[in-house]
Amino acid sequence: MGADSGPGAPAAVPWRKVLYERQPFPDNYVDRRFLEELRRNIRVRQYRYWAVVRETGLIAQQVSCVAVFLTLWSCMEQGDLVPSAVLWVCLGCALLGYGLYEILGGACVRERTRLADLQSATIFLAFTFGFSPVLKTLTESVSTDTVYAMSAVMLLAHLVSFPYAQPSPPGSLSLNAALFASVCLASRLPGALHTFTMLSCALLVFALWPCLLHRMREKAEWSFPWAAVLVCLAGVGGLGSLWPEGALLLSLALLTLTLLCPLLLVHLQRHKDNIHGPWDEAEIREDLSRFLN
Amino acid sequence: MVLKIFFPQCCNTADSGLLVGRWIPGHNSAVVLAVIHYPFIPGQVKKYLSELQSQTQVDLTVLGSWSMPKEGQEGMDSFLKDLSTIFPQECWLQLSREIGKRGFTCQVVQNNGRLLQEQKNGDDKIVLIHYDQRKVMLSQLHPVQDVGQKSDVEASELGLVFQTVAQSQPLFLLDKYDDGPLKLSHWQSEGREASIIAELLKQASVPVCIFLTWLLSLWHWLCSFRILHLRPVLFISSKLSTCVQSGYRAVHFKTVFSPKKAATHMEFMRKANIFVSFLVDIALGLLLISWLYRENRISKLADTLVPVADVSMTHITSHLWKSLESRVAKELQELLEWLMGAPAGLKMNRALDQVLGRFFLYHIHLWISYIHLMSPFIERILWYVGLSGCLGLTFALSILSDIVALLTFHIYCFYVYGARLYCLKIYGLSSLWRLFRGKKWNVLRQRVDSCSYDLDQLFIGTLLFTILLFLLPTTALYYLVFTLLRLVMVLFQGVIHLSVDFINSLPLFAIGLRICRPYRLAEGVKFKVLCQEPGTPLHLMMEINPLKCSSVLQCYRTPTYSCYPKDSWAALCKKLFVGELIYPWKQKTAKTD
Repeated sequence: MGADSGPGAPAAVPWRKVLYERQPFPDNYVDRRFLEELRRNIRVRQYRYWAVVRETGLIAQQVSCVAVFLTLWSCMEQGDLVPSAVLWVCLGCALLGYGLYEILGGACVRERTRLADLQSATIFLAFTFGFSPVLKTLTESVSTDTVYAMSAVMLLAHLVSFPYAQPSPPGSLSLNAALFASVCLASRLPGALHTFTMLSCALLVFALWPCLLHRMREKAEWSFPWAAVLVCLAGVGGLGSLWPEGALLLSLALLTLTLLCPLLLVHLQRHKDNIHGPWDEAEIREDLSRFLN
Repeated sequence: MVLKIFFPQCCNTADSGLLVGRWIPGHNSAVVLAVIHYPFIPGQVKKYLSELQSQTQVDLTVLGSWSMPKEGQEGMDSFLKDLSTIFPQECWLQLSREIGKRGFTCQVVQNNGRLLQEQKNGDDKIVLIHYDQRKVMLSQLHPVQDVGQKSDVEASELGLVFQTVAQSQPLFLLDKYDDGPLKLSHWQSEGREASIIAELLKQASVPVCIFLTWLLSLWHWLCSFRILHLRPVLFISSKLSTCVQSGYRAVHFKTVFSPKKAATHMEFMRKANIFVSFLVDIALGLLLISWLYRENRISKLADTLVPVADVSMTHITSHLWKSLESRVAKELQELLEWLMGAPAGLKMNRALDQVLGRFFLYHIHLWISYIHLMSPFIERILWYVGLSGCLGLTFALSILSDIVALLTFHIYCFYVYGARLYCLKIYGLSSLWRLFRGKKWNVLRQRVDSCSYDLDQLFIGTLLFTILLFLLPTTALYYLVFTLLRLVMVLFQGVIHLSVDFINSLPLFAIGLRICRPYRLAEGVKFKVLCQEPGTPLHLMMEINPLKCSSVLQCYRTPTYSCYPKDSWAALCKKLFVGELIYPWKQKTAKTD
């Protein structure tokens, strides 16, 4: 029913937009103020191209992390790397990363004590070392193709479900998928020490590195792009040492991701057509934490 | 309203006299029970009737007169008409029969002197129904109503007729050779039926019953010792079917051998059924023993079972025992060797496979050594146990079931191990799968909620999930194999229990009665037209319709502790899938646990 087109609209009594009062108008009558409150695209952000490119660095570096991990595994499987050496390097990297984390987060209130951290580390190491003989023989009777397929699916799930918006506590599904894939792959290695090393690497790459990266983004904004580029280069380089075509594919994918997709995003913004009105759900904009204390 | 008169067949040829019977309350009918002949004194008739009334609780009255004219007895008619004044009634029946004619004539005189003519067109008609008095007296109409329920349930007309005849038994004790003042005609008027053997048995049964009841009380006193009421003993005795069966039989004997006479029809039938089935049970058991221990059948059977015939052992029981045990153990060993390989090309984890296989093999080794240790004593015990068949076939079957259960105890143990391991694994897997997705089980709300886990929880959870997942095929296979074996055992035991239950509950006495004396268990009656002449009322012959065999079984089945499946198929499958221990047969006990 259009405005003012309904029959029997006496001008004496104005129409009010309420249903609990009996008015001389029919129930579906609307006047000329219909859809006055409709708003279009009020929350559309204007993206700037280079800012978006910066943000996609996170996705790119995560893909490269996976590539780095696969490179490491492949090298260990072929026997190019000695597991004890890799283990020492991992340990060094972990200590370095921990130190960096502490330095960058100096002013923050610690939510976990150093002791709790040490406890966690001991549990990891003990469990992994204890279970590595079991893990080694876990997929003995499963065919190689099945193992590769499972790992591929799990790593894909990891990439898809990674919490790119808030990577600091790593999401359950993404971390679990990555660990599952690493266990599948690690069980194909020739020795128990290899398995242990592989799992420690996986932990470092998938669980601890995102936390450090997030801390770096928060505290030292300038370092984030350089870290992302470093990781991407390491990924491409590592893959290139094994499989040059793969390196080419990876770099192509990364470029598409980093440069082409933001372009598409910015370009397609002008087709946006969101309507808002009094029918939207209420959103709490304020920070209510002041009421909690 | 149709007036129905039930007339006994035996009185068709009786001499003239008074009709004695009962008016059925609520229905327009009368049951004639006997005919009192001349000469009689009305006062004595009245006294006799009131005595009988107090004895039988049936309100017997003089219904009317019966005249069967013979030579030299003319002039009776007028005499009979005057009798109605001596015995005042609401309705006075005058039945008369003429020689040479089939039908009776009937006149009903009401107390206001009005005569009802049967030829009148209208609502008043008279139907004479002939019945066989002896059969109706002995018969029991189904569905049986308890005597105490008389006031609650309105008895049908037929039920009342049967009840009247059955309860008037003292009326039929006077026969026509008695020297008393009254001469009656009824089915027993030619002389009382009795057999000497039945009388002797009845006399002898009372002291025998008392003696057996004393024996039973002795047995109960033995069973009530404190030491037999300890928890482990109670538990074991509830599992052994022999103990259950003997307890059940003891309860039955208490019913059967009690010196009290059975009050109601159902009690009597129950006693008779139990007694007869017990006798048949013992007969079958003796038959089984004679078949087993004759012609060395058992050793022939053992020879076909034993792969290598052991000629040094000649005793039948040691043959049977050793052959069965070694065979079962050998089969199990072969099965485990197969499982430890790569059965059916399944992806078994080698290490776990070896561990589990060795564990179960060690158990079998222990079991075999235990059996060998026991074997010198087992021979004697088995020989005496075999003789228990003389206590009845059900006993022999129960003991067989118990022996099978004991022999396959190690299969039961393996099943429990496998099931527990599998159950633990499934439980762990489901919980860790929830952790994998970042959720957990909310016990309060009984649903799955999201949860933010710590890093170490996630790490260890994923590791364990991977391990459990890849070890699942191995555990599942062991569980499947042992569950199948256990199910076979359970099925076998179930079949034995079902047959024991069948023998226990079959009402042989009722079936025999239905076959040999079908009129005793009546479902209803059917009518046959005897004579339909104008001028006489309609004559019908009432014949008893015996109870259908299926109704006999349903009505008189002895209640037993029957085993029935506890779970439906869907619940059973779910339990098997999850790994819960299954006990598919549940026993119905009289006491609520």
